[in-house]
Amino acid sequence: MDRELLIEIGVEELPAAWLPGLTRQLHDRVQARLKELRIAPGAPVESYGTPRRLTAHVARIAERQEDLEEEISGPPVSAAIDKDGRPTPAALGFAKKQGVGFEALGRKQTPRGEYLVFRNHVRGKSAVDALPDLMSGLLRDLSFPKQMHWDAVLDDARGELPFGRAIRWLLFLYGGRVVPFTIGRAANAAGPLVQDVESGALTYGHRFLATSGRAGRSIKVRSFDEYQARLKEHFVVLDHTERRERIVRSLELHARRLGGRVQLKEHATLIEEVADLVEFPAVVAGFFDLAFLALPEEVLVTTLVHHQHYFPVVSDRGELKQAFLAVVNTQPQDERLIAKNTERVVTARLRDARFFWESDRRIPLESRLERLHTLLFHKKLGSYRDKAERIERVAQRIASEAFGVPTEAEHAAKAARLAKADLTSDMVFEFPELQGTMGGIYAREQRLPEQVWKAIYFHYLPIGVESDAPPSREQLGAASVSWAAVSLADKLDTVVGLLGAGEKVTGSRDPYGLRRQMHGIVRVLMDLPELTGLNRELDLSQLAPDAHADVAGFAVERVRYALEQRGFPIEVVRAATASLAISPLRARRVAEALQAMRTSADFQALAVLFKRVKNIAREGKDDGPVDRTALGEPAETALVGELDRRRSRIAEATDGADYKRAFVEIAGLRPAVDRFFLEVFVMADDARTRSARLALMAELRDLILQIADISEIVPQTE
Amino acid sequence: MVTLQQLIFKLSEFWSTHGCLLQQPLDVEMGAGTMHAETFLRVLGPEPWSVAYVQPSRRPADGRFGENPNRLFKHHQFQVILKPAPDEVQQLYLQSLEACGIDLRAHDVRFEEDNWESPTLGAWGIGWQILFDGQEITQFTYFQQAGGIDLSPISVELTYGLERLAMALQDVDDVFDLEWANGVKYRDVRHRDEVEQSKYAFGQIDMPRAEFTALHRTFFDQYYRLAETLLASGLVLPAHEYCLKCSHMFNLLDASGGVGVTERMAYILRVRQLAVAIAKAWIGEKPEEPLAAASA
Repeated sequence: MDRELLIEIGVEELPAAWLPGLTRQLHDRVQARLKELRIAPGAPVESYGTPRRLTAHVARIAERQEDLEEEISGPPVSAAIDKDGRPTPAALGFAKKQGVGFEALGRKQTPRGEYLVFRNHVRGKSAVDALPDLMSGLLRDLSFPKQMHWDAVLDDARGELPFGRAIRWLLFLYGGRVVPFTIGRAANAAGPLVQDVESGALTYGHRFLATSGRAGRSIKVRSFDEYQARLKEHFVVLDHTERRERIVRSLELHARRLGGRVQLKEHATLIEEVADLVEFPAVVAGFFDLAFLALPEEVLVTTLVHHQHYFPVVSDRGELKQAFLAVVNTQPQDERLIAKNTERVVTARLRDARFFWESDRRIPLESRLERLHTLLFHKKLGSYRDKAERIERVAQRIASEAFGVPTEAEHAAKAARLAKADLTSDMVFEFPELQGTMGGIYAREQRLPEQVWKAIYFHYLPIGVESDAPPSREQLGAASVSWAAVSLADKLDTVVGLLGAGEKVTGSRDPYGLRRQMHGIVRVLMDLPELTGLNRELDLSQLAPDAHADVAGFAVERVRYALEQRGFPIEVVRAATASLAISPLRARRVAEALQAMRTSADFQALAVLFKRVKNIAREGKDDGPVDRTALGEPAETALVGELDRRRSRIAEATDGADYKRAFVEIAGLRPAVDRFFLEVFVMADDARTRSARLALMAELRDLILQIADISEIVPQTE
Repeated sequence: MVTLQQLIFKLSEFWSTHGCLLQQPLDVEMGAGTMHAETFLRVLGPEPWSVAYVQPSRRPADGRFGENPNRLFKHHQFQVILKPAPDEVQQLYLQSLEACGIDLRAHDVRFEEDNWESPTLGAWGIGWQILFDGQEITQFTYFQQAGGIDLSPISVELTYGLERLAMALQDVDDVFDLEWANGVKYRDVRHRDEVEQSKYAFGQIDMPRAEFTALHRTFFDQYYRLAETLLASGLVLPAHEYCLKCSHMFNLLDASGGVGVTERMAYILRVRQLAVAIAKAWIGEKPEEPLAAASA
């Protein structure tokens, strides 16, 4: 009969950021380990996580492992039986090794001849006997961003058992009965205060809350239903979703009472996080002095959200109120008692922030540049002062030349020069996540124009400390061009500079975050029209002409990644990024056009033909011009004619960035190409004819390849 | 009302009944109780050790001339080391808070991830900051490494911020308003020292800035050389004290703006090399390379 499996690993508080991943791992690993143990689950594996427990539950699993049929090969029959028909020592040795007599062995025909085999029937163990292996496997399987040593050992080949946090209890039940399992302790730690962790039928409720008896006492359970019910009684909400929903309801309720609301969408990440910081969530409201509302909103929000995990309350018009909401892990008897303490912390932090806000503004950004000398950017590339000077030049050039907006060049240059100045401010020293933002605010305070202060404010985007989205056109206002120039100049300086200085990016190592930086460059270029109104298909060689050769390949890799992220199928992505020198915007538009065209029959047929064209053209010696006098066959003349007719139309469509029309023109080549392959044998004996035909193929290939390698999207069946 | 000195009594009594030896502060300037030999050296090696003590901790860069309600040049830590770390240590810690008069049921006490690391000591650990209604009152760390040496068994360190904890218990917003003893304020005991030490730490003395910096660099170098000599003479504990002095000189240089970013890293590395060599000498290991190379 199938029975229930219940596992709870009781731990000291796990970091909130780990819980979503660990809960998933737990599900996957229990499922995989059951399969490996040949114990069929009769119901889905469920997993749950709170800061103090990782729980897995399967409503029904088989009572026994499935039997195993093993077939172990021995020596070939030719070497196993002597000429008298008796077993040789090799055969007897094999039988002995399997623990059976020679008569028990069978034979098996293989392509290499006939072999002795031992067919073994392994009877499955009962689940209770097999499940300890599941636990030791599981404890080894779970991986953590950082693990700790806690003087624990398992009785397996590896010995020491590091884990994410110390394990304090193990609830391990099969069909209501305890599955015996022990985590041992290192010999030099074990003693009356450091003991083995033995599996049992016990769990623990909330640290401080209990409906009856003393909080923190053990609770005996026999089934998952009982487990859930008892945990609920003991103030533990097992399910993350349920905790999150309670938090959201409670935040909304409290905010309404304060005549405001909480920006749930903006704070979605914080909500997920606090839901994993608590076992029994509740909300208390705190207040701060009205005078602090004179601080920039960004500073207030950072203090509340990033430093304290508190939610700001805003009015219906979205303006901050002098209140915040804190999610706590208890059922407050007296909300004010807790709130008063939270207010003390918030006030102390805001007082610090106000001090920085006042002292920072006494030093204009321009005079901070000197201090950037002491901040090292990279040992080969100098200080942040040096970086500021470089990006000033690059931003100016991007705005005037690459963007073709010389009127914005001065703004871009000024913003770039000042972009890093806030690194010397006390506020950014204390709140590093406000880098850029503070510089922008201080520039605004100095009455620098919008094109300058906003370019500084947003210049880390689209790859910020918190948000990975670019600013919107509306947010950027008049600063869209200057922002794009500074954002690109800064990231190009980092990527091109560091790659040029010999820093490497490998699969697992990217200490300077160059992949993200390049991703930022690609995203700005890819969406340039939407972000800035500039309709320019720029590639890296136009922005950084002197870049190291590796940079182009690195860029294409990021373009492909960005397109895949936007949901383009891999073959479309490959087709659209065939050229290394491709502009991200052009790649995106080509991918969009391919996506629209790829189902048309002409286009698909042409894609197949194009593959042939590419293969044949490879036979050609050089890419010289086609010797037209050598081409007299009607199918040849027809193809040459088609090409001549369509070449200019394709160029015109491409110049106008109308790749769909270009592909329509290209698809129109299909009948002529088809006929050519039908009637003409390219590899003619006559050398002159052959080379003219190969050159024609190369020309056709290059015409198409300059837009996309459409052979990539040949249907799978071909 | 629990005064600051009652808080110290209560914690001392609690931990002494739970097997801790009550030690005294180390009479050398240092930035944190972790640097005391009773922690830094005793966590090395296999011998069990449980100890508790108050350590006045100097952080020159945090000096605010006695004007900031939360930041101090010198604050006080109550330090507990339990080796090996008992299974019930979280529970014990919470009981110690109850012993100080905290009603755990009425507040929000949380263990939030905060892994401690000291680059100058070559030490790090896994643990939490303990938040009391959002205020950090204790650092709770399972040491994994000290002086670059993997620890076995694992020690647990509890570092109570006495001023923070007392502020929560006494419900005051300004550290200088704390009751040190009945009728005696923190201000009466500590304020003048905060003002004068801050002025010194930020170089506000009758000496040109350059000379101030040069003098403290010289102190650093001299202490460093002495520490090396003491170590070479097999005197680990005196060497450790002079290593602490180096660390304090570096902190003063750092606070007064006397070191650039790159140089800062170099200073930290030098102190670390000394600390690692001292740790190895304590457990009787020979250093891998002569320490002289470190001072180059």
